[in-house]
Amino acid sequence: MIPRHFQITISFLLAAILIAGIFIITLRHSEETKTQQGLAAGPQAPEAQGKEETIPVLVAYDEDMALRWRKTEAFMPDERDLRARAALRAVLAQYQQSPSPHPLANGADIKDVYLLNDDTLLVDTTAPFADGHPSSVVLEEMTLTSLIETLAANVPGITRVKFLVDGKERQTLAGHVDLMNFYQLSAVHELAKEFE
Amino acid sequence: MIIDPSHGGDDKGVVFAPHVFEKDLTLSVARLLRKELQDRGIAAHLLRDSDFSIPLERRAELCNQQRPSLYIAVHAGEPGKGVRVYTPILPAAQQSVNGFLPWEAAQAPVLKNSNAIAGAVTRELKKKDIKALDMKAFLRPLNNIVAPAIAVELAADRSDLHSLESARLQTAVATAVASGIAQARNQLGARK
Repeated sequence: MIPRHFQITISFLLAAILIAGIFIITLRHSEETKTQQGLAAGPQAPEAQGKEETIPVLVAYDEDMALRWRKTEAFMPDERDLRARAALRAVLAQYQQSPSPHPLANGADIKDVYLLNDDTLLVDTTAPFADGHPSSVVLEEMTLTSLIETLAANVPGITRVKFLVDGKERQTLAGHVDLMNFYQLSAVHELAKEFE
Repeated sequence: MIIDPSHGGDDKGVVFAPHVFEKDLTLSVARLLRKELQDRGIAAHLLRDSDFSIPLERRAELCNQQRPSLYIAVHAGEPGKGVRVYTPILPAAQQSVNGFLPWEAAQAPVLKNSNAIAGAVTRELKKKDIKALDMKAFLRPLNNIVAPAIAVELAADRSDLHSLESARLQTAVATAVASGIAQARNQLGARK
Protein backbone atom coordinates (compact mmCIF):
# COMPACT_ATOMS: atom_id res chain seq x y z
CA MET A 1 0.00 0.00 0.00
CA ILE A 2 1.46 3.37 -1.06
CA PRO A 3 1.22 5.96 1.70
CA ARG A 4 -1.26 8.78 1.05
CA HIS A 5 1.30 11.59 1.40
CA PHE A 6 3.45 9.87 -1.24
CA GLN A 7 0.46 9.61 -3.64
CA ILE A 8 -0.25 13.34 -3.19
CA THR A 9 3.41 14.25 -3.88
CA ILE A 10 3.52 12.11 -7.06
CA SER A 11 0.23 13.65 -8.25
CA PHE A 12 1.62 17.17 -7.75
CA LEU A 13 4.81 16.26 -9.58
CA LEU A 14 2.89 14.75 -12.56
CA ALA A 15 0.64 17.83 -12.72
CA ALA A 16 3.70 20.11 -12.63
CA ILE A 17 5.37 18.14 -15.45
CA LEU A 18 2.17 18.33 -17.52
CA ILE A 19 1.80 22.10 -17.02
CA ALA A 20 5.50 22.71 -17.82
CA GLY A 21 5.16 20.59 -20.99
CA ILE A 22 2.13 22.55 -22.18
CA PHE A 23 3.92 25.82 -21.41
CA ILE A 24 7.03 24.79 -23.40
CA ILE A 25 4.98 23.65 -26.42
CA THR A 26 3.01 26.92 -26.42
CA LEU A 27 6.18 28.99 -26.13
CA ARG A 28 7.88 27.10 -28.97
CA HIS A 29 4.84 27.48 -31.22
CA SER A 30 4.70 31.21 -30.56
CA GLU A 31 8.45 31.63 -31.32
CA GLU A 32 8.12 29.64 -34.58
CA THR A 33 5.22 31.82 -35.67
CA LYS A 34 7.23 34.96 -34.89
CA THR A 35 10.24 33.64 -36.89
CA GLN A 36 8.09 32.71 -39.90
CA GLN A 37 6.42 36.11 -39.86
CA GLY A 38 9.83 37.74 -39.76
CA LEU A 39 11.12 35.72 -42.72
CA ALA A 40 8.01 36.18 -44.81
CA ALA A 41 8.24 39.90 -44.37
CA GLY A 42 11.36 39.97 -46.59
CA PRO A 43 13.37 43.15 -46.54
CA GLN A 44 12.71 44.94 -43.27
CA ALA A 45 11.38 48.38 -43.97
CA PRO A 46 14.02 50.89 -42.99
CA GLU A 47 13.05 53.32 -40.29
CA ALA A 48 11.09 56.01 -42.06
CA GLN A 49 13.75 58.63 -42.76
CA GLY A 50 13.39 61.50 -45.18
CA LYS A 51 10.17 62.30 -46.91
CA GLU A 52 7.93 60.00 -48.86
CA GLU A 53 8.56 60.26 -52.60
CA THR A 54 7.35 58.58 -55.75
CA ILE A 55 10.47 57.04 -57.26
CA PRO A 56 11.17 55.10 -60.47
CA VAL A 57 12.27 51.47 -60.02
CA LEU A 58 13.33 49.11 -62.80
CA VAL A 59 11.52 45.83 -62.17
CA ALA A 60 12.47 42.42 -63.64
CA TYR A 61 9.71 40.25 -65.06
CA ASP A 62 10.89 36.65 -65.44
CA GLU A 63 7.89 35.53 -67.43
CA ASP A 64 8.78 37.64 -70.47
CA MET A 65 12.47 38.22 -69.67
CA ALA A 66 11.93 41.97 -69.53
CA LEU A 67 12.81 44.93 -67.34
CA ARG A 68 10.19 47.65 -67.01
CA TRP A 69 10.13 50.98 -65.18
CA ARG A 70 7.50 51.28 -62.48
CA LYS A 71 6.68 53.98 -59.92
CA THR A 72 6.62 53.23 -56.22
CA GLU A 73 6.40 55.14 -52.95
CA ALA A 74 9.44 55.16 -50.68
CA PHE A 75 10.86 57.21 -47.84
CA MET A 76 13.93 58.84 -49.36
CA PRO A 77 16.51 60.44 -47.06
CA ASP A 78 18.65 63.34 -48.26
CA GLU A 79 22.02 61.62 -47.63
CA ARG A 80 23.10 59.92 -50.86
CA ASP A 81 24.17 56.61 -49.29
CA LEU A 82 20.92 56.25 -47.33
CA ARG A 83 19.00 57.30 -50.42
CA ALA A 84 20.77 54.56 -52.39
CA ARG A 85 19.85 51.97 -49.78
CA ALA A 86 16.22 53.09 -49.75
CA ALA A 87 16.05 52.88 -53.57
CA LEU A 88 17.57 49.37 -53.60
CA ARG A 89 15.16 48.20 -50.92
CA ALA A 90 12.27 49.61 -52.90
CA VAL A 91 13.28 47.32 -55.79
CA LEU A 92 13.62 44.28 -53.53
CA ALA A 93 10.21 45.03 -52.02
CA GLN A 94 8.75 44.56 -55.53
CA TYR A 95 10.26 41.07 -55.64
CA GLN A 96 8.86 40.12 -52.23
CA GLN A 97 5.29 40.69 -53.36
CA SER A 98 3.05 37.75 -54.00
CA PRO A 99 2.90 36.78 -56.80
CA SER A 100 6.42 38.01 -57.44
CA PRO A 101 7.53 39.09 -60.92
CA HIS A 102 11.07 37.92 -60.07
CA PRO A 103 11.18 35.74 -56.94
CA LEU A 104 14.16 36.08 -54.62
CA ALA A 105 14.88 34.12 -51.44
CA ASN A 106 13.39 35.06 -48.10
CA GLY A 107 15.85 37.31 -46.35
CA ALA A 108 17.30 38.74 -49.59
CA ASP A 109 18.06 42.28 -48.50
CA ILE A 110 20.55 45.12 -48.54
CA LYS A 111 22.61 45.21 -45.34
CA ASP A 112 24.38 48.46 -46.02
CA VAL A 113 25.80 50.71 -48.69
CA TYR A 114 29.09 52.59 -48.66
CA LEU A 115 29.71 55.63 -50.82
CA LEU A 116 33.35 56.04 -51.92
CA ASN A 117 34.69 59.21 -53.55
CA ASP A 118 31.15 60.41 -54.24
CA ASP A 119 30.85 58.27 -57.39
CA THR A 120 31.41 54.66 -56.33
CA LEU A 121 28.95 52.61 -54.33
CA LEU A 122 29.68 49.39 -52.44
CA VAL A 123 26.45 47.49 -51.84
CA ASP A 124 26.58 44.90 -49.08
CA THR A 125 23.81 42.32 -49.49
CA THR A 126 22.63 39.66 -47.06
CA ALA A 127 23.79 36.06 -47.54
CA PRO A 128 20.33 34.84 -48.70
CA PHE A 129 20.42 37.43 -51.50
CA ALA A 130 23.14 35.37 -53.22
CA ASP A 131 22.81 31.93 -51.57
CA GLY A 132 19.12 31.69 -52.43
CA HIS A 133 19.27 33.36 -55.84
CA PRO A 134 18.15 31.20 -58.77
CA SER A 135 21.17 30.05 -60.76
CA SER A 136 20.72 31.41 -64.30
CA VAL A 137 22.70 33.81 -66.48
CA VAL A 138 19.60 35.77 -67.45
CA LEU A 139 17.95 35.87 -64.02
CA GLU A 140 21.18 36.91 -62.30
CA GLU A 141 21.72 39.67 -64.88
CA MET A 142 18.16 40.90 -64.51
CA THR A 143 18.55 41.20 -60.72
CA LEU A 144 21.77 43.21 -60.91
CA THR A 145 20.62 45.36 -63.83
CA SER A 146 17.35 46.27 -62.12
CA LEU A 147 19.21 47.28 -58.94
CA ILE A 148 21.95 49.26 -60.69
CA GLU A 149 19.61 51.07 -63.08
CA THR A 150 17.32 52.00 -60.18
CA LEU A 151 20.33 53.39 -58.33
CA ALA A 152 21.32 55.46 -61.36
CA ALA A 153 17.82 56.88 -61.64
CA ASN A 154 17.56 57.87 -57.98
CA VAL A 155 21.09 58.75 -56.92
CA PRO A 156 22.69 60.91 -59.61
CA GLY A 157 26.46 60.96 -59.84
CA ILE A 158 27.07 57.26 -59.15
CA THR A 159 29.25 55.80 -61.92
CA ARG A 160 30.47 52.51 -60.44
CA VAL A 161 28.80 49.88 -58.28
CA LYS A 162 30.18 46.75 -56.64
CA PHE A 163 28.27 44.11 -54.72
CA LEU A 164 29.43 42.31 -51.59
CA VAL A 165 27.69 39.40 -49.93
CA ASP A 166 27.57 39.53 -46.17
CA GLY A 167 30.56 41.87 -46.13
CA LYS A 168 32.75 39.71 -48.39
CA GLU A 169 33.63 39.57 -52.08
CA ARG A 170 32.10 36.72 -54.05
CA GLN A 171 33.00 35.52 -57.56
CA THR A 172 29.47 35.27 -58.94
CA LEU A 173 25.93 35.97 -57.83
CA ALA A 174 24.69 32.40 -58.28
CA GLY A 175 27.27 30.65 -60.44
CA HIS A 176 27.26 32.86 -63.52
CA VAL A 177 27.21 36.63 -63.35
CA ASP A 178 30.31 38.42 -62.13
CA LEU A 179 30.40 39.99 -58.67
CA MET A 180 34.14 40.67 -58.57
CA ASN A 181 34.05 43.64 -60.93
CA PHE A 182 33.01 47.19 -60.34
CA TYR A 183 30.00 47.63 -62.62
CA GLN A 184 30.27 50.72 -64.81
CA LEU A 185 26.88 52.33 -65.20
CA SER A 186 27.47 53.02 -68.89
CA ALA A 187 27.95 49.29 -69.54
CA VAL A 188 24.88 48.40 -67.49
CA HIS A 189 22.78 50.89 -69.52
CA GLU A 190 23.87 48.98 -72.61
CA LEU A 191 22.84 45.68 -71.05
CA ALA A 192 19.48 47.05 -69.85
CA LYS A 193 18.54 47.83 -73.46
CA GLU A 194 18.58 44.09 -74.21
CA PHE A 195 15.76 43.58 -71.71
CA GLU A 196 13.51 46.40 -72.94
CA MET B 1 40.00 25.84 -79.62
CA ILE B 2 38.86 25.28 -76.07
CA ILE B 3 35.36 24.17 -75.13
CA ASP B 4 34.45 24.76 -71.49
CA PRO B 5 31.53 22.69 -70.16
CA SER B 6 30.51 25.01 -67.33
CA HIS B 7 30.21 23.90 -63.70
CA GLY B 8 31.10 20.33 -62.62
CA GLY B 9 31.69 18.36 -59.42
CA ASP B 10 30.07 20.01 -56.42
CA ASP B 11 29.11 22.97 -58.58
CA LYS B 12 25.95 21.60 -60.18
CA GLY B 13 24.90 24.83 -61.89
CA VAL B 14 21.17 25.06 -62.48
CA VAL B 15 19.23 22.22 -60.82
CA PHE B 16 16.43 21.65 -63.33
CA ALA B 17 15.02 18.59 -61.53
CA PRO B 18 16.27 16.36 -58.68
CA HIS B 19 18.66 14.51 -61.02
CA VAL B 20 18.98 16.92 -63.92
CA PHE B 21 21.88 19.30 -63.47
CA GLU B 22 23.32 21.99 -65.71
CA LYS B 23 26.83 20.51 -65.26
CA ASP B 24 25.78 17.26 -67.01
CA LEU B 25 23.93 18.97 -69.86
CA THR B 26 26.90 21.23 -70.56
CA LEU B 27 29.28 18.27 -70.71
CA SER B 28 26.98 16.39 -73.07
CA VAL B 29 26.66 19.36 -75.46
CA ALA B 30 30.39 20.11 -75.21
CA ARG B 31 31.28 16.56 -76.30
CA LEU B 32 28.92 16.81 -79.27
CA LEU B 33 30.39 20.18 -80.21
CA ARG B 34 33.94 18.80 -80.04
CA LYS B 35 32.97 16.03 -82.45
CA GLU B 36 31.27 18.45 -84.86
CA LEU B 37 34.32 20.74 -84.86
CA GLN B 38 36.74 17.87 -85.35
CA ASP B 39 34.62 16.65 -88.28
CA ARG B 40 35.24 20.09 -89.81
CA GLY B 41 38.97 19.82 -89.28
CA ILE B 42 39.07 22.15 -86.27
CA ALA B 43 41.10 20.90 -83.29
CA ALA B 44 38.98 21.23 -80.17
CA HIS B 45 39.71 20.30 -76.56
CA LEU B 46 37.45 20.15 -73.53
CA LEU B 47 38.48 21.94 -70.37
CA ARG B 48 36.90 19.07 -68.44
CA ASP B 49 35.84 15.72 -69.86
CA SER B 50 34.40 14.28 -66.65
CA ASP B 51 32.58 15.44 -63.57
CA PHE B 52 34.91 17.63 -61.54
CA SER B 53 34.93 21.20 -60.41
CA ILE B 54 37.28 23.88 -61.76
CA PRO B 55 37.25 27.36 -60.19
CA LEU B 56 36.38 30.13 -62.65
CA GLU B 57 39.77 31.85 -62.36
CA ARG B 58 41.49 28.53 -63.03
CA ARG B 59 39.36 27.97 -66.14
CA ALA B 60 40.64 31.27 -67.54
CA GLU B 61 44.25 30.41 -66.61
CA LEU B 62 44.06 26.95 -68.22
CA CYS B 63 42.58 28.43 -71.37
CA ASN B 64 45.04 31.33 -71.61
CA GLN B 65 48.03 29.02 -71.14
CA GLN B 66 47.04 27.15 -74.30
CA ARG B 67 46.56 30.30 -76.42
CA PRO B 68 43.56 28.90 -78.30
CA SER B 69 41.95 30.52 -81.33
CA LEU B 70 38.58 30.55 -79.53
CA TYR B 71 37.16 29.87 -76.08
CA ILE B 72 33.57 28.76 -75.94
CA ALA B 73 31.75 28.20 -72.65
CA VAL B 74 28.66 25.98 -72.69
CA HIS B 75 25.77 26.70 -70.33
CA ALA B 76 22.19 25.55 -69.91
CA GLY B 77 19.61 27.64 -68.16
CA GLU B 78 16.15 29.02 -67.75
CA PRO B 79 13.89 30.78 -68.59
CA GLY B 80 13.13 30.89 -72.29
CA LYS B 81 13.59 28.65 -75.27
CA GLY B 82 16.30 28.05 -77.86
CA VAL B 83 19.89 29.21 -77.51
CA ARG B 84 21.39 32.42 -76.13
CA VAL B 85 24.82 33.37 -77.46
CA TYR B 86 26.74 35.64 -75.09
CA THR B 87 29.68 37.94 -75.66
CA PRO B 88 31.45 39.75 -72.83
CA ILE B 89 30.91 43.33 -71.72
CA LEU B 90 34.12 44.91 -70.56
CA PRO B 91 34.04 46.78 -67.26
CA ALA B 92 35.34 50.04 -68.81
CA ALA B 93 37.98 51.38 -71.14
CA GLN B 94 41.02 49.77 -69.54
CA GLN B 95 44.54 51.03 -70.08
CA SER B 96 47.36 48.56 -70.33
CA VAL B 97 50.13 49.15 -67.83
CA ASN B 98 53.63 48.54 -69.22
CA GLY B 99 52.10 46.31 -71.87
CA PHE B 100 50.07 44.30 -69.34
CA LEU B 101 46.28 44.37 -69.50
CA PRO B 102 44.28 44.23 -66.27
CA TRP B 103 42.98 40.70 -65.63
CA GLU B 104 39.40 41.96 -65.83
CA ALA B 105 39.99 43.36 -69.32
CA ALA B 106 42.11 40.59 -70.85
CA GLN B 107 39.39 40.22 -73.48
CA ALA B 108 39.66 43.83 -74.72
CA PRO B 109 42.02 43.38 -77.71
CA VAL B 110 39.93 40.54 -79.22
CA LEU B 111 36.41 41.65 -78.34
CA LYS B 112 35.63 42.53 -81.97
CA ASN B 113 36.41 38.97 -83.04
CA SER B 114 34.31 37.58 -80.20
CA ASN B 115 31.36 39.64 -81.46
CA ALA B 116 31.92 38.50 -85.05
CA ILE B 117 32.00 34.83 -84.03
CA ALA B 118 28.88 35.21 -81.86
CA GLY B 119 27.09 36.82 -84.81
CA ALA B 120 28.05 33.96 -87.13
CA VAL B 121 26.94 31.33 -84.59
CA THR B 122 23.59 33.08 -84.04
CA ARG B 123 22.96 33.25 -87.80
CA GLU B 124 23.69 29.54 -88.22
CA LEU B 125 21.38 28.61 -85.35
CA LYS B 126 18.58 30.66 -86.92
CA LYS B 127 19.21 29.03 -90.30
CA LYS B 128 18.54 25.69 -88.60
CA ASP B 129 15.27 27.06 -87.21
CA ILE B 130 16.60 27.18 -83.68
CA LYS B 131 15.48 30.29 -81.80
CA ALA B 132 18.68 32.22 -81.08
CA LEU B 133 19.48 35.46 -79.27
CA ASP B 134 22.77 37.33 -79.41
CA MET B 135 23.29 38.94 -75.99
CA LYS B 136 25.91 40.67 -73.87
CA ALA B 137 26.73 39.34 -70.43
CA PHE B 138 28.89 39.97 -67.39
CA LEU B 139 29.56 36.26 -67.42
CA ARG B 140 32.66 34.92 -65.73
CA PRO B 141 35.29 34.13 -66.95
CA LEU B 142 34.76 35.61 -70.45
CA ASN B 143 36.47 38.92 -69.59
CA ASN B 144 39.59 37.11 -68.38
CA ILE B 145 40.18 35.20 -71.62
CA VAL B 146 42.89 36.49 -73.99
CA ALA B 147 41.40 34.70 -77.04
CA PRO B 148 38.06 35.50 -78.67
CA ALA B 149 35.45 34.23 -76.21
CA ILE B 150 31.76 33.46 -76.40
CA ALA B 151 29.27 31.43 -74.37
CA VAL B 152 26.30 29.46 -75.67
CA GLU B 153 23.41 28.65 -73.37
CA LEU B 154 20.68 26.16 -74.14
CA ALA B 155 17.55 27.66 -72.67
CA ALA B 156 14.36 26.01 -71.51
CA ASP B 157 11.62 26.50 -69.01
CA ARG B 158 11.39 23.92 -66.23
CA SER B 159 8.11 22.68 -67.72
CA ASP B 160 9.88 21.99 -71.01
CA LEU B 161 12.83 20.12 -69.56
CA HIS B 162 12.62 17.18 -71.96
CA SER B 163 13.65 19.48 -74.83
CA LEU B 164 16.95 20.29 -73.08
CA GLU B 165 17.70 16.63 -72.54
CA SER B 166 16.81 15.70 -76.09
CA ALA B 167 19.83 14.32 -77.97
CA ARG B 168 18.27 15.60 -81.18
CA LEU B 169 18.20 19.21 -80.00
CA GLN B 170 21.67 18.99 -78.47
CA THR B 171 23.08 17.61 -81.73
CA ALA B 172 21.29 20.24 -83.82
CA VAL B 173 22.70 23.01 -81.60
CA ALA B 174 26.22 21.53 -81.68
CA THR B 175 26.07 21.25 -85.48
CA ALA B 176 24.89 24.84 -85.93
CA VAL B 177 27.43 26.24 -83.46
CA ALA B 178 30.29 24.33 -85.13
CA SER B 179 29.14 25.50 -88.53
CA GLY B 180 29.01 29.13 -87.33
CA ILE B 181 32.50 28.85 -85.85
CA ALA B 182 33.87 27.35 -89.07
CA GLN B 183 32.37 30.18 -91.12
CA ALA B 184 33.63 32.87 -88.76
CA ARG B 185 37.09 31.30 -88.85
CA ASN B 186 37.12 31.49 -92.64
CA GLN B 187 35.89 35.09 -92.66
CA LEU B 188 38.30 36.28 -89.97
CA GLY B 189 41.13 34.39 -91.67
CA ALA B 190 40.24 36.01 -95.01
CA ARG B 191 40.28 39.50 -93.43
CA LYS B 192 43.81 38.95 -92.15
